Amino acid sequence: MKKMILAFMLLGGSLAQADTIYTMRVDGLACPYCAYGVEKKLKKITGVKKIDVDLDKGIVTAVTDDSVKFTDEQMTKLFKDSGFTFRSMKKAVK
Amino acid sequence: MQKHRTHFRILGGLLAMGLAYPAMAHDPIFGLGPHVLYKGGVEVALELHTEKAGSERENEATLELTYGLTGDWSFGVDMPYRNKRQSGINRSGMGDLSLFTKYRFWRKDSLGVQESAAVLLKVKTDTGRSGGTPALNPGATDSIVGLAWGYESRKWYRWASIRYRYNGKNAQGLKRGNVVKLDFVGGIRPTPTGYLKPDTVWMLELNGEYRQQSKQYGTRLANTGGTEWFISPGIFWTKRNFAIKAGVQIPVSSSLNGSQARSDYRAKITFEYHY
Repeated sequence: MKKMILAFMLLGGSLAQADTIYTMRVDGLACPYCAYGVEKKLKKITGVKKIDVDLDKGIVTAVTDDSVKFTDEQMTKLFKDSGFTFRSMKKAVK
Repeated sequence: MQKHRTHFRILGGLLAMGLAYPAMAHDPIFGLGPHVLYKGGVEVALELHTEKAGSERENEATLELTYGLTGDWSFGVDMPYRNKRQSGINRSGMGDLSLFTKYRFWRKDSLGVQESAAVLLKVKTDTGRSGGTPALNPGATDSIVGLAWGYESRKWYRWASIRYRYNGKNAQGLKRGNVVKLDFVGGIRPTPTGYLKPDTVWMLELNGEYRQQSKQYGTRLANTGGTEWFISPGIFWTKRNFAIKAGVQIPVSSSLNGSQARSDYRAKITFEYHY
């Protein structure tokens, strides 16, 4: 019984700390200097831990804690305000 | 006669006076591009400009602040400090403060490519140091309207722009000729690099300038106005949110009215930071 409780606590602990990876397809990303606006806007969101931009593939990756829930509407506005066009988003748990 | 020659030199200097245009992101160095700043973004740029035409030489340091009102609309201010040398006389002081706004009215995005077009409106106020010889500022309010198109990809860049500058009349009755500028620019990024890596784009501009003849109390001034074309190689180097832009304008064709000093060269370097 003690082992079960410990296993449950560990599992619960690890689930609580799980990161979410959002992979977003974005059009118009041609230069790294201009993409800085995307980094700035995403990092303003509480819970966003890491940003990466792959200009050749038009992919913006955001690693967040599990409290963060991105929506298509939110990302459409965020990328529009940054000067780009949001296309789609995939979500995965790390 | 000597007095007239001095007046023409002053006038020539005033006409040759460059006016900095918003130097945003991957825009051309001398031409105009459609780039704006992201919403809520602030850009600080220090632009150093020098030009020589005959015995006249002018240096200018401009501090430019830009704010992104939306993702397609920015607003800013230019604060120049000028130094001018003419006929052995050296003079320095504040230049005219300018306010500008740029609106990107069209944008087409695809994978790694952005095509866009924007309009610019700029007003150069009559606020700089006035009077004296050589004159540092024209003593009038000027307005500029511009239209720019740009194609930007991971490898290639293309821009085209047209600007019209309406020059005001000063207290001495001098109405400097209005100016039309036409720019065609190509650029290449030889090695596309990743985000956060240093990035270099080489540019080659063709800049044309047509100036109408100036008038004093309605009388056309013979030694004013004309057309000049420049070939301008330049470089744009960036790392994350810091950029350096530099270029030289080399005159390739000149058709100026009467007796005027032709441009020898113009050069510009800009340090840009946005956050």
